[in-house]
Amino acid sequence: MIYVAGIDIGSAFSKAVVMAENKVISYYVILSAGDYRLAADEVAGKARGKAKLSLADIGYTVATGYGAASVSFAAEVVSDISADGRGVIYLFPSARTVIDIGGQFTKVFKIDERGRPTAFLLSEKCAAGSGRFLQIIARVLQVELKDIGKLSLKSKKKVDFNTGCAVFAESEAISRIAEGALKEDILAGLHRTLAAKIETMAERVGIEPDCALIGGGAKDIGLVKSIEERLGRRLLLSEEPQIVAALGAALIAGEKVSH
Amino acid sequence: MKNQYFAGVDIGSTMTKVVIMNQRVLAEVIGPTGPEHRKLANRVMEEALTRASLSFDDITYVVATGYGRINVPFADKQITEISCHARGVSHLLPGVRTVIDIGGQDSKAIKLKDGRAVDFVMNDKCAAGTGRFLEVTAEGLGVKLEDMGRLSLEAKNRAEIGSTCTVFAAQEVVSKLSEGVPLPDIIAGLHEAIASRIYGMARRLKIEREVALTGGGAKNIGLVRALEAKFGYPVLVPPEPLLTGAIGAALLGKDMVKKAEEKGETLPRSERRLTEASIFE
Repeated sequence: MIYVAGIDIGSAFSKAVVMAENKVISYYVILSAGDYRLAADEVAGKARGKAKLSLADIGYTVATGYGAASVSFAAEVVSDISADGRGVIYLFPSARTVIDIGGQFTKVFKIDERGRPTAFLLSEKCAAGSGRFLQIIARVLQVELKDIGKLSLKSKKKVDFNTGCAVFAESEAISRIAEGALKEDILAGLHRTLAAKIETMAERVGIEPDCALIGGGAKDIGLVKSIEERLGRRLLLSEEPQIVAALGAALIAGEKVSH
Repeated sequence: MKNQYFAGVDIGSTMTKVVIMNQRVLAEVIGPTGPEHRKLANRVMEEALTRASLSFDDITYVVATGYGRINVPFADKQITEISCHARGVSHLLPGVRTVIDIGGQDSKAIKLKDGRAVDFVMNDKCAAGTGRFLEVTAEGLGVKLEDMGRLSLEAKNRAEIGSTCTVFAAQEVVSKLSEGVPLPDIIAGLHEAIASRIYGMARRLKIEREVALTGGGAKNIGLVRALEAKFGYPVLVPPEPLLTGAIGAALLGKDMVKKAEEKGETLPRSERRLTEASIFE
């Protein structure tokens, strides 16, 4: 059996997937914590460890993501949208549009039946449409990032925000707390703001059914619901939306060894 | 109008400014707005009255301006900051045709004709290009905001800041610092970035000389120099750029009273009592 690995070094999280014969053997997610080289070694080691494999057992490694260049043991680097597209098609063969909400950027792109990106848009200029927005707000509200989705679903009162800017939203959230607004209502309001930003991007690219939502942002159930509401459609969600790019990278690695 | 006194109260997102004037400025107070600007308006007003040795009853007319102007219950009139800046600048720096106001949470360019605002553009949607950009990045660098200007003048090789977004720029400058880029070079890069944003916005109006800079951003010599490099000529800065709006507010109050008196009318005035605005009104 030939093992392959896909490593995705994101601005916030690093992910590794180990596959053999087109099946996922193990995966791991850690915080990137500012040092991509260290994160790459650690996350790949952890994923191999789970499958009881050593570095020598891995036949081919493909890296992707913001810090892909720091993966010294990768045979190849692929773009994040190529990896995303490949991973999405593996999980959802019917998907033709992908929304990836990452720590730094949000990407919206179309893919063909083989997962190859055809048109795409990246929110690189602005934190407002990205997971970074959620990280900032989680810190201000003193809520753990993983808990904000569930908490926001408890919202009963509509709190709307005047701004789309992450910096101004942070101050606005602070004033709302001072005025006595509840955390869940603030979170729900911010989810709507973020969803509106993502909808604008999606409209520019053009949404084609079916649409998959991936990246760390897809783990936020409150955000998922807000986006579904804005777009007026259900989104395809995997159990582990954060590892889709790493999965795609591993699939690309698998193709290399099977030829 | 001899024994008449006029007050201008400018509640900005970051700083609150009050002036009391008759023919000239008799008292000025500048304090941080903070989260409780509803209470603050009274306190700064009281402070200004003490400094001018006047009681509140002595004030003929009070005009409030700035983003928090509705939270000044004792004001006789609320006027937009655009009109107040226009009036303030044309009094302080006659002959100015374009005003660039760099505030804590927005920036605007105002075109003047005969001392009045005839057109303006504004950015309050995005923190890039506002004072907030410098505040956030200064914090990331561990530098006091008021030291940014001076430090940037020591730059030898200006750093390129690739991020437009304040959030990403704050991250970028910290990594530049850890790569060993000298602090003055980074700060000069930040000034260049904000100057580009402001210049891009202002260019939507046809910029005409003379150009004046007002607001907190005008106190930053590095930013002033960066903007001058964009314009290609020197710009004018009032002695206390933060007070421009408050002075304009007081002067507009004076203009209104004069006009009313000429017509033999009296303007309605609020009760001369310093009260807090309540959010439950």
